[in-house]
Amino acid sequence: MDWIIGIGNRMRGDDGLGPVLVDRLEATLGVRTCSVDQLTAELAEDLSTADRVLFVDATAGENGIELKPIAPRPARGLGHALPPEGLLELTARAFGRAPAGWLLAIPGRLFGWGECLSEEAEACLFEAEATLQRWVQRAMVMVGV
Amino acid sequence: MAREVHIEPVTRIEGHAKITIFLDDEGDVRDAQFHVTELRGFERFCQGRTLWEMPGLTARICGICPVSHILASAKTCDALLAVTPPETAVLLRRLMNLGQFVQSHALSFFYLSAPDFLLGWDTDPATRNVVGLVQADPDLARKGIRLRSFGQEIISRLGGKKIHPAWAVPGGVNQPLGAADRDWILAALPEAKETTLGTIRLFRETFDPAARDVLSTFDSMYMGLVGEDGLWEHYDGRLRIVDSCGERILDDVDPRVYPENIVEASEPWTYLKFPHYKPMGYPDGMYRVGPLGRVNVCERFGTPEADRELAIFRETSSRCSGRVFDYHYARLLEILASLERIERLLADERITSTHIRAEAGVNELEGVGVHEAPRGTLIHHYWVDEGGLIEKANFIVSTGHNNLGMNRAVREIAKTYIRKGEITEGILNRVEGGIRAYDPCLSCSVHAVGQMPLIVDVVGADGTPVTRLVRD
Repeated sequence: MDWIIGIGNRMRGDDGLGPVLVDRLEATLGVRTCSVDQLTAELAEDLSTADRVLFVDATAGENGIELKPIAPRPARGLGHALPPEGLLELTARAFGRAPAGWLLAIPGRLFGWGECLSEEAEACLFEAEATLQRWVQRAMVMVGV
Repeated sequence: MAREVHIEPVTRIEGHAKITIFLDDEGDVRDAQFHVTELRGFERFCQGRTLWEMPGLTARICGICPVSHILASAKTCDALLAVTPPETAVLLRRLMNLGQFVQSHALSFFYLSAPDFLLGWDTDPATRNVVGLVQADPDLARKGIRLRSFGQEIISRLGGKKIHPAWAVPGGVNQPLGAADRDWILAALPEAKETTLGTIRLFRETFDPAARDVLSTFDSMYMGLVGEDGLWEHYDGRLRIVDSCGERILDDVDPRVYPENIVEASEPWTYLKFPHYKPMGYPDGMYRVGPLGRVNVCERFGTPEADRELAIFRETSSRCSGRVFDYHYARLLEILASLERIERLLADERITSTHIRAEAGVNELEGVGVHEAPRGTLIHHYWVDEGGLIEKANFIVSTGHNNLGMNRAVREIAKTYIRKGEITEGILNRVEGGIRAYDPCLSCSVHAVGQMPLIVDVVGADGTPVTRLVRD
């Protein structure tokens, strides 16, 4: 089972890129999807039953869209929210196994109050959609769907 | 040379704060202050909005405590409409509040505070978190995660989502509880109770009474709502204040007349106000609320297993515990009481009735709603015009009530652990731990945005920085 998790706050401009993208595609993807403001430990138990997980998140960096594998890694100095690698680490340790993790990072520019994406973020969405669909198709090929 | 030590921001609490410790010429602690450094001003934002918007609007004050604000706001709006919500609506509101107690207390205990005292105050702060707890005790961490998840699931099944459910409304609630959801909660209860009882036993066996003095012990008054016969209460009830010996200072008082007893003072060095007991003035009128406050004011929980555990707790403390560390113990006792109350509510056949809302127009121009949030007594007070537009709003939130108590705890801990200017990581974390024991929510009390590293500044008497410690 594959799982796509959009991360971000839709009321903070481009921070909502992940949930917006997941919303647009969830009906057509054929995999489990959800969106959260932040990753919390309660996701770990369900996540331990997944084969692969793709985290879709906005990034404030200057790089373009980036799809990359991520590995479990202990998080440092956190409160009740976790980075993707930290959630995978927690999942593996608390529930015995973690799925193969991937991160789709989409560059955003404006992270202030508001539910609208910036023009730059909107422009990235088309490429991000294609990248995400390729990830799903590859997953389906791998399991022979 | 006199100097100041700043701890900024305090980590693993909800929101931003810093601590300043003032040292004297000998390097011992002269004073300490807990500062809340950002302002939110929600009371102002609400002006001009309709009363029907208020539950949903005030829920946005916080992502941790939305249920608390929704319920307090709905109760305030009930008063403005002068309606009595149907019995089932009240039962369901109680059920959601108990779910909130379970998830909020589990978050505070297992995620935010247990890493301090189960991994050790002096362990590397980078690993002193829930992931570190998983590494050290995966079974306990897994159970804690599942317990919080259970509380959140109750909220989600009632309100449609875990955060900001637009469910409690003026006059009642907008969605009943289905039999399938009731049965799911009932089926999950035994595991939640087993986890809680096991954690209480672990806590009791790990920390003897002397060890529980680690975050300071001091006398104060305590405040909370109590039900009939002084039973632990979380949704309705009468206001009670007791002194450090448990003697009643104020009892059987309608919480809606809170201005006669509670007023707020301000200080120029913090945005968080200082509520206090009006007849005793500021700062002598210090009282504490929240888990320890409620446990100290109530006679008993009124449910068998929680009462059994309460009796054991009271064997190891005076009638009113003044230990800051006992906030954690009280939090566990309240989870147990909440689970038993949930079981009792779900056994009531009225819980699945679909008669859940009373309709009315504006009948009163002023209304007060008070209930117990996990962190303490929460007060909403609205004034409206005849069309139901908010003219003025006042919120006295749980964290604010504990402001004097948090400042006192910081001062006492700092005096105990900082001597002759020697400051170590473990000492700083104990000072922070004193704050975290109260589980303050600065989102609710003023403002919060994300997390930042811990910065400690040591400043000389002339204002020149002596050294800076940074925690990533």
